[in-house]
Amino acid sequence: MSDRCAAILANISAFLDGDLDQTMCAEIEAHCAECQRCAPVVEGLRQTIGLCRNAGTAPLPEHVRARARDAVTRLLRDVK
Amino acid sequence: MTRSPAVQPDRAREEYAALVRNAAGGDAAAMERLLIRAQEVAYRFSLLVCGHVEDAEDVMQDALLGTYRHVREITDPSAFRTWLYSTVRNACLMKRRRRAGEPASFVPVEQGGEREGRTPGVDVPSPAPRPDERMVDAWIDRRLRRALASLPPAYRMIVVLREIEGLPTKEVAAVIGISEANVKTRLHRAHGMLRKQLQDV
Repeated sequence: MSDRCAAILANISAFLDGDLDQTMCAEIEAHCAECQRCAPVVEGLRQTIGLCRNAGTAPLPEHVRARARDAVTRLLRDVK
Repeated sequence: MTRSPAVQPDRAREEYAALVRNAAGGDAAAMERLLIRAQEVAYRFSLLVCGHVEDAEDVMQDALLGTYRHVREITDPSAFRTWLYSTVRNACLMKRRRRAGEPASFVPVEQGGEREGRTPGVDVPSPAPRPDERMVDAWIDRRLRRALASLPPAYRMIVVLREIEGLPTKEVAAVIGISEANVKTRLHRAHGMLRKQLQDV
């Protein structure tokens, strides 16, 4: 792996997390446009993070939500 | 190639703060919504980080009661979310300590822990999903669930807090009690492990 690739990959987490300044982002994007090694790595991580984000917003199974609602009802009734 | 959209954590944090203010002010609907959200956070975190359904249900109950009490005492509503995740994390850690020594199912044995005299190692989930895993498969991509299970617990927790729950790294650091730099380093390593796991499937 070239030094340039290593430097790029060292920053991909920050890049995908929106943590880098514009200049560095542009450098990474430019590098990935040409590099067959780095582009799939960055894309793979982007997809992984996407799966995580979906998991965070997906509704929980109905029986879990029902359990939560029932517990709230019982609690608020018992404290009255 | 596009970058992932940056997480908008402050809006969610402000939503919590608004719910807390309204609930503390006597708004019953806000209180209900807050108590439900707290339980959902507890369930998701517990199941993903520790992996036992019955523990997740216990942690839900802890979050419900704790939130109800805390809302009436809280002085800074914008600190609620950090408090909630810290509380849930502590409840999970206590559950996990009690389980140390039991055969692990979904969760790799924690480094340093022992199971019936055997040396500690990483438990690999068997091919057929166990009941707890089926629970998680109901709402999370199975490949992701397996990839998360393969991470060391400390890394898994950071991925769950940062990438699944969407907390900013500074807040993740506050919840766990480590530096923000440490969070970023672990997150970077965890990203690499996850990516490898998902590639190998």
